[in-house]
Amino acid sequence: MRLLLAEDDPMLGDGLRAGLRQQGFQVDWVRDGLAAEREIASGDYQAAVLDLGLPQKDGLEVLQALRRKKITTPVLVLTARDTVPDRIKGLDLGADDYVIKPVDLFELGARLRSLVRRAHGLVQDVLNCGNVQMNLAARQVLMDGQAVSLSTREFDLLHALMLNMGRVLSREQLEQQLYSWGYEVESNAIEVHIHHLRKKLRADLIQTLRGVGYMLLRPKDPT
Amino acid sequence: MTLLPRLKSLQARLLALLLMMMALVWLAAAVLTWIGTRHELDELLDGHLAQSAALLVAQQTIQDQDQDDNQKSDPPGRHDDDAQPLHKYAPRVAFQVFHEGQLTLRSANVGDTPMSTTLRGFETVQLPDQSRWRVFATQGNEGDVQVFVGERTESRHDILWAVMTGVLTPLLYSLPLLGLVGWLAVRQALAALRQLSRLLAKRQPQALDAVVLGDLPAEIEPVVQSLNALFGRIGNMLSSERRFTADAAHELRTPIAAIRIQAQVALGAGGDIAERDHALGLTIEGCDRAAHLVEQLLTLSRLEASSASAPAGLVNLSALAQRVAADLAPTALQNGQVLELEASVPGLIQVDDTLTCVLLRNLTDNALRYSPPGAKVCLSVTTEDNRVLLQVDDSGPGLPDVDMARLGERFFRCMGTTQSGSGLGWSIVRRIAAVYQAEVKVCRSTLLGGLCVSVIWPVHAAQPVSNGVIDGGRRHL
Repeated sequence: MRLLLAEDDPMLGDGLRAGLRQQGFQVDWVRDGLAAEREIASGDYQAAVLDLGLPQKDGLEVLQALRRKKITTPVLVLTARDTVPDRIKGLDLGADDYVIKPVDLFELGARLRSLVRRAHGLVQDVLNCGNVQMNLAARQVLMDGQAVSLSTREFDLLHALMLNMGRVLSREQLEQQLYSWGYEVESNAIEVHIHHLRKKLRADLIQTLRGVGYMLLRPKDPT
Repeated sequence: MTLLPRLKSLQARLLALLLMMMALVWLAAAVLTWIGTRHELDELLDGHLAQSAALLVAQQTIQDQDQDDNQKSDPPGRHDDDAQPLHKYAPRVAFQVFHEGQLTLRSANVGDTPMSTTLRGFETVQLPDQSRWRVFATQGNEGDVQVFVGERTESRHDILWAVMTGVLTPLLYSLPLLGLVGWLAVRQALAALRQLSRLLAKRQPQALDAVVLGDLPAEIEPVVQSLNALFGRIGNMLSSERRFTADAAHELRTPIAAIRIQAQVALGAGGDIAERDHALGLTIEGCDRAAHLVEQLLTLSRLEASSASAPAGLVNLSALAQRVAADLAPTALQNGQVLELEASVPGLIQVDDTLTCVLLRNLTDNALRYSPPGAKVCLSVTTEDNRVLLQVDDSGPGLPDVDMARLGERFFRCMGTTQSGSGLGWSIVRRIAAVYQAEVKVCRSTLLGGLCVSVIWPVHAAQPVSNGVIDGGRRHL
């Protein structure tokens, strides 16, 4: 799951990036409001962590600008401004969650997963596709109740596909969701991960549409 | 009057003073009336006595002539026994007429012996029956007629008393009445004071709005005005304190959040030793930063608490700058920065050396902190037109004008800075400068191209100028 972290404090930003990566998020880190707005608007991120006291453009202004542009990427506001009016303002301007510093890393991770889940209309931290079950918090995939060991990339790829079940995702879209900045992405990386997933799970789980992309078929209703 | 200071109550004091003054005036009036009345009375009654005596002399003289003409028509003393008192005061008046040594006429209330030993003029005598008389004695022109006219002194006293009573009784009655009226008036006048004290007593400590009292006496109005001004100042101070506390707590959140997160990252790093060490390193750095922030906060709060009473001695600014530069040089060297000091003149100023050190350290630290590695920071102390000028130049990126204007706002940090400042350094610098009426200026450095901060101290009268001043200054350190 790819996240944008907008935080101007170097030490806190570094810690958040490292901590969220440990929880399996792909994290890109920007340090000012303008960059945050630009990056979130690019649509490459499934969620964003936004500090309010950002240089160049205040976090609340960024949020307002994004929502005005109809960009619905879930945004978690992480700030030291703790008064009730501040929180109300943040939520009313389009924040999906409002967290006061200091925050527990795992709570932050859980809140982010919850945001992404809700953005996809899900209510649980578990995704299902036929006999494949994905537990997001535990980063665990079960097939017919048996745990299947997946690498981080394989998990993230399957996650992206499961979140967009029934929709075709292009290779570029998948790459953007999988890799944060600074990674050299091999041209066939996605294909390799898809290949591994098919081997570890079911061969017919992921459909390839040549020249278009990949998709996960919505399982047929048992009734 | 010695009693007065012992009376705590303003009302009692005023009342006591009022009554005492009234009693004194009353007493003075009584004495003056007494003396005046008595004098007038004596003159008047003595005049009457003299006139009566003159009448009797005249009458006796005529009788003598008649007797010379008619030869003993009337035996002596025949009228006296039958004489009826004509008036209630009559027994108090007496007369004796002697003719050639013989008593020819007398009033019933007096004996046959002459009333007075004086033959002419006034005398106050005591008769054998213990009564006191005022007697006027006179003689006929030929000296054969001797007349004594007397009046009981008692009656004079009675008149005097009657006058005194008439004059003073109303005064005596009016004294308590005046006291009462005075008491009421004073009470009325002090009502506003009592109302004020009731209002103040009822006040909550947080209530700092102005005291509003309608229709204040002119004497109390300044008190209320001063009180309201004081409330205003306290209110400002409190709200600034509250804002400060809120800002401070707010500012501490970020380093604490960073410490917590880095610690969690270190915990979660597992086998990744490089990541763990990095996170632990940053945890320690975060603690240092929080400690620095707390230190600065404490400095600032101490400054704000004791700005007016900061002690001052004659301090050698150059020597202080040297010490601060020496303290910060290792940090500068670590970052590959050059720290230079140019202080050929002593620059004596009347300040507290600890506070001035804090100011110097903050300015120098800021210059180093916000300049890139390899940058140059130059401290200089010069004297100019009898003023001492401290200048901190750096070759860093400088500041846009917008940010220059905002320097000194608490917790303001320039945008895009990656340095972990507290955002308080400038507040502290400005605060300390304000304590000593020093002027702080920020501009682009003409020397090094970065930021230039100048602090200009007014020079105090006692500035010894000698060659040994640097050493002399060092003794302060």
